[in-house]
Amino acid sequence: MIGQTLDIVTTAAILYAVATGLLLVFGVMKIINFAHGGLMTLGGYAALLTTQAGLNPWLAIPAAALFGGVVGMAIERFVVRPLYNRPLDAILATWGLSIIIGQLITIAFGRGVQFAESPLNGTLDLFGESYSAYRLALVGIAAVLGIALTALLQGTRLGLETRAVIMNEDLARGLGINSGLVRFLTFTLGSALAGVAGALITPLSSVDPSMGVPWLVNAFMLVLVSGASLVSLLFACLVLGGAQVLVATHFSPVLGGLTIAVLAAIILRIRPQGFARD
Amino acid sequence: MTEARRLSLILAVSLLALAAIFAGPTVLDTYSVNVLTRSLLYAAVALTVDLLWGFLGILTFGQSVFFACGAYAAGLVFTHMDFSTSNAFLALGLGVGGALLVAAIVGWLAFWHGASALYASVITLVLPIVATQLLYSGGTFTGSSSGLSGFMSFDLSMEAWFWLSGSFLVGVTTLAYIFVKSDAGRLLVAVRENEQRCKYLGLDTSRLKILVYLACAAIAAIAGYIYAGYAMVVAPELAGFVFGTELVIWTALGGRGTLLGPVFGALIVDYESAQLAGDYPFVWQLIIGTLFVLVIVAFPRGLLPVVFDLPRKLLGLIRPRVATPAASVTLSTLDPADTQGVEPGEGAALSVAGVVKRFGSLTVLEGIDFEARAGELVSLVGPNGAGKTTLMRCIADGAERTAGSIAVNGYDIGRKPPEACVALGVGRKFQMANVFETLTVAQCLQIARVRHARPSLWCRAQELKLPEAAMHVLATTGLDKQLSTPAHLLSHGMKQALELSMVLALEPRVLLLDEPTAGLTKTERMQIGAILIDLAKKQGLCVLLVEHDLDFVREISSRVIVLHQGRIVLDGSVEEVVASELVKQVYAGSGHAGIDHETAPSPRTELPA
Repeated sequence: MIGQTLDIVTTAAILYAVATGLLLVFGVMKIINFAHGGLMTLGGYAALLTTQAGLNPWLAIPAAALFGGVVGMAIERFVVRPLYNRPLDAILATWGLSIIIGQLITIAFGRGVQFAESPLNGTLDLFGESYSAYRLALVGIAAVLGIALTALLQGTRLGLETRAVIMNEDLARGLGINSGLVRFLTFTLGSALAGVAGALITPLSSVDPSMGVPWLVNAFMLVLVSGASLVSLLFACLVLGGAQVLVATHFSPVLGGLTIAVLAAIILRIRPQGFARD
Repeated sequence: MTEARRLSLILAVSLLALAAIFAGPTVLDTYSVNVLTRSLLYAAVALTVDLLWGFLGILTFGQSVFFACGAYAAGLVFTHMDFSTSNAFLALGLGVGGALLVAAIVGWLAFWHGASALYASVITLVLPIVATQLLYSGGTFTGSSSGLSGFMSFDLSMEAWFWLSGSFLVGVTTLAYIFVKSDAGRLLVAVRENEQRCKYLGLDTSRLKILVYLACAAIAAIAGYIYAGYAMVVAPELAGFVFGTELVIWTALGGRGTLLGPVFGALIVDYESAQLAGDYPFVWQLIIGTLFVLVIVAFPRGLLPVVFDLPRKLLGLIRPRVATPAASVTLSTLDPADTQGVEPGEGAALSVAGVVKRFGSLTVLEGIDFEARAGELVSLVGPNGAGKTTLMRCIADGAERTAGSIAVNGYDIGRKPPEACVALGVGRKFQMANVFETLTVAQCLQIARVRHARPSLWCRAQELKLPEAAMHVLATTGLDKQLSTPAHLLSHGMKQALELSMVLALEPRVLLLDEPTAGLTKTERMQIGAILIDLAKKQGLCVLLVEHDLDFVREISSRVIVLHQGRIVLDGSVEEVVASELVKQVYAGSGHAGIDHETAPSPRTELPA
């Protein structure tokens, strides 16, 4: 029982960490960044390089953020910016970028599966249950990410401008907010977060050129049911991630892998705004 | 060009294509014939992606699933039941039937009234993921990750498979081409351009989308069936998301909305993939990915139009092209005996009782009660935010209001969607001119008549019959001389007139007009005013009009309803309303009644916006 609760909480934390970057980009730019999976793969390889160089595995996180952020800047400038008015085309173009990133990584590192060193090994005893220390650490990391992003959006001038662009971009521009810059910074931040997410999941899974793709669809569905709110994203991760854990343990892992996508599709059919308040 | 000549030209081209297919195996080497057989089938699936995405505007990632449906039906039946002629038909039936069933479920999920384009794409994205997982978990029945192989199949030579696949592709491409160029096919573009206007022209767009989706699923399933028969192996990747997106990539590269572009896109890319994938697998994928991003960003129409436009442009440099007028359509007035408008029911033309509309805690309309008879021209006035447009919306769409009831011609509209309200006799003209921008005037009008005159699936009508009222508007405004002008080239006033005649072509009993004179010149206003009076008096329409221009209201209305903060504050004759102190207070605020008019002696008593 306690083991399962921990499974649900840690799964929700991982999903939250994976989906925040996508949510940020969707909220501000109203486009779905399908390169998110590719950027996560990039973050995974950044983690691999860091640990292979013999550096402290925790350094993988800033390294992945740097990789993701820099590539994100280039993507925003050359691909996403011309497609602001064509959101469906932006999905396709960013998917194309995902293919490009995947193939470049394959050419550089080969197709094989590799493993990165985990920053935390062993287990922790919690409520009489011995549980993976790294998974527990992820809960803390996800909480820090969520709090930091909320503080950024609620407490800074950039955050205020970003929220203004989310609510009404035309009006925000009319009031002199450089919405292009807000979009650029958002996309960079979202890409950096994708990189971080890729680094965070490497100790749990292997590193390979298509490691980000399975996460993309789940993150995408979670973002769609959450609208543009970090709070409803947390709620969605707990509910849908919890459902995934329960289905996977009690029915079959295959059905568990489908739970988030199928449930999200049904939720959106019944309530188009999903878990968002309106 | 006459219809017969146009159609025979299409048939001649497809006969040439068939001849090329039959000559294929004699000039190509065995390896190419083998690879191209697969490419020809993939091209047929890419064609369905183009119909859905390029024409109807539904970006679909899941056509691979229908292909796999047909392929797995053959694989499963031939593996578990042996190969025989009757089993071959059984497999085909199961494949197409299964695809139709899946498509019906997906269609129900994705194309319901009010679903966004993004949601439909999301559903088609979830579909291949679910399908592959199910195939993986099928154990020995579906062969799990290695799929099914080693089953018996039709005993055909490699050339015969090539001919079969090629003829199938040419057949479906020809049919699809004839369809999209027909009157019925134009509906797909109309839905893509402006789905809302389609619904308010009485078209059940959800049903149209589901029908096209079903047809596309069936085509993909047949292609998959032929594929399994020839390849004698089926694998879960056929249903996958990656194949689904490859189909989209081929379509985008070739040119969405061109039919031939996606067919050639699929043929060339898949054939080249097979040639190059052996030597440079990753580099080839990289090139395709880069090309795809480049095309989406820089040439959203794809490469085929670029290839076709180049010689045309070069030719244009030497010899200026003579603009060929689009196929001309002649207008004629519909015999009044043939008008099929809804029979008037019992009682008032429009009756609104206790209507309430809330957005969350905000009440926009409350306790709205009124009735209007046929032949009445009722103006709805009130300051901004009074709820005028909201009331219009509640009458035209049964799902809008929070409480209360509305009856049109004596029929309760219940919770019916806009297209069903149109069937009861409601015609709504929007505040901003709402037409099909890329279609011509005649085509816009044809789409407005679809509800009454079923469009042909294979040819284009040369004659357009319109009800007298619509003809009258066209003649008065001179639009009847611009029938082949695309709507986006029309002036604002002309667009308003076009939308009005489209709505009148529906033969409505209750006409809802939201600021029909906004942004029009004085002459245009007077023309519209005269037309409206005529519609109410001679045709017996019940007209409900939202207007800010009080002079205009005074000239044409038979009755005025004043709305303020979501309630009816006055319902009476023009004289009563104009003389009312209350109305002045509503507009100018209680302490400043009338000041606006004293300080600004304008010739028109324009109400404050």
